[in-house]
Amino acid sequence: MFTRHVSDQLAAHVDGQLDTLEARRVESHLAQCQHCRAEHEQIRFGMMCLEHLPTAEAPAAIWVSIAESIPERWLSRPHPFQLWRPAFAALAAIVAVSAAYWLFSRRPETRWEVIERHGVARIGAGEWIETDSSSSATIKVGQIGSVELAPNTRLRVVTERPGEHRVMLARGAIHANISAPPRLFFVDTASGTAVDLGCEYTLRTDQAGAGLLQVTRGWVSFQWKGLESLVPAGASCRTYAQGGPGVPCFDDAPEPLKMALESFATNSAALDTILVESRVRDTLTLWHLLWRADLPNRGRIYERMAALTAVPEGVSREEVLKLDRGTLTRWKDELAWTW
Amino acid sequence: MDREVSAEIIESCRAGDRDAFRVLYDIYKDRVYTVSLYFFHGDEAAAGDVTQQVFLKLFTAIGQFKGNAAFSTWLYRLAVNACQDTARRRKSLLSAGPLPLERIAVSSSQEDDFARAQMARSVQAAVSALPPKFRIAVLLRYFDDLSYEQMAKVLHCSIGTVASRLSRGHRILAERLKSLIGTNA
Repeated sequence: MFTRHVSDQLAAHVDGQLDTLEARRVESHLAQCQHCRAEHEQIRFGMMCLEHLPTAEAPAAIWVSIAESIPERWLSRPHPFQLWRPAFAALAAIVAVSAAYWLFSRRPETRWEVIERHGVARIGAGEWIETDSSSSATIKVGQIGSVELAPNTRLRVVTERPGEHRVMLARGAIHANISAPPRLFFVDTASGTAVDLGCEYTLRTDQAGAGLLQVTRGWVSFQWKGLESLVPAGASCRTYAQGGPGVPCFDDAPEPLKMALESFATNSAALDTILVESRVRDTLTLWHLLWRADLPNRGRIYERMAALTAVPEGVSREEVLKLDRGTLTRWKDELAWTW
Repeated sequence: MDREVSAEIIESCRAGDRDAFRVLYDIYKDRVYTVSLYFFHGDEAAAGDVTQQVFLKLFTAIGQFKGNAAFSTWLYRLAVNACQDTARRRKSLLSAGPLPLERIAVSSSQEDDFARAQMARSVQAAVSALPPKFRIAVLLRYFDDLSYEQMAKVLHCSIGTVASRLSRGHRILAERLKSLIGTNA
């Protein structure tokens, strides 16, 4: 009896990565299928060719740069506990420092007194940091990165334990630069939570939660009441008061697409423009729109995505329209290579 | 070759031991650099940039590594992320002009053997022409000998997807190399 082709399992078979049962099934199929035998030979040939590739030696200059970039304090003494330390830097001028000191000298519980003495102070859970119109601040987040506070920003440390660094951004703007395994650094706002997936980003928000997330490195997940927007480097995502995260969009997307996206929630014609203007890379936006569109429009979005890029195996129109999470995740993982 | 760094070295790194950082770097540097170099079509600057990014992130965050996953899985995940980030930043560069493949150094023995060097260049060209998701899978499998299960974790996909990408990637390589070898012969 003829069985279905085994094309996608052939590399695993050559690499010895199939279990005994699967390997036997593949071998049985190969015995009777010339098409798959030819592909099997191709794969073996492809693997054999790779043996001609030499391993390259990393230039010595790379280590020199790394060693220079690692702060000496990390290497000379361990830090068993993660601590939040605000290093209030970049106060633009002495005037600004004086103004800030005047403002906070009437509130002895703030950190500014410490700044005056040492320039560095610790801050713990529950404490607030606030910058005025002429000051900014930098917080060192344990050993995983830093957060810069722009002027007129109000932020509170919520959690400061090794497995979770969480702040609440009440208003203003921060620039976070985090180098850590994903999901260790969180920023709560009135419209949701920005979850670090190993990244660098700027997040601005007003007190109601309206704002903008702009990612410059890695990924950020913005979550609100079961809704999630995944924002990669080079993309931005609006956040809405009482509405959570919007749909992310690459900063280099066509202007008509960006404008249409702004009115997507209120203007039914906006989707037409978005579909027409989308490039392959804008499947980032389309993928997120699938979750937010009604069924007929979801079908249109699917068709446009399928026209822009091949739908991978295991992703069907039916499952996409049903918003099957596994199917959409699988598709997103494939699409991410074009983002 | 020791493919997985020991728990003692990681613990020493967590304690801030500079020598341990160096040991860890020496174990993985060439593998990360080589994968990056071929991923970026032989662009040494991009490969150096990615390697530096990966190890800086690694050293900065190693205190957070709990050992509940293989260290190499984490490291290669960082490497893949860095490759993707760098590729996004350089998107326009990558799509323009001929690829500087001749900049990938070949060993002296290969320089002595013209035919082998030609073959190496052909393979480099074929790998460079693979779509990124196939290219990274082929490189991780070949240079880092990751299992399909490890690759699935590194690439955030199923083992079936890894198998499929490798099958398709190798078939594309074979197709391309068949004609290239024919041209060179």
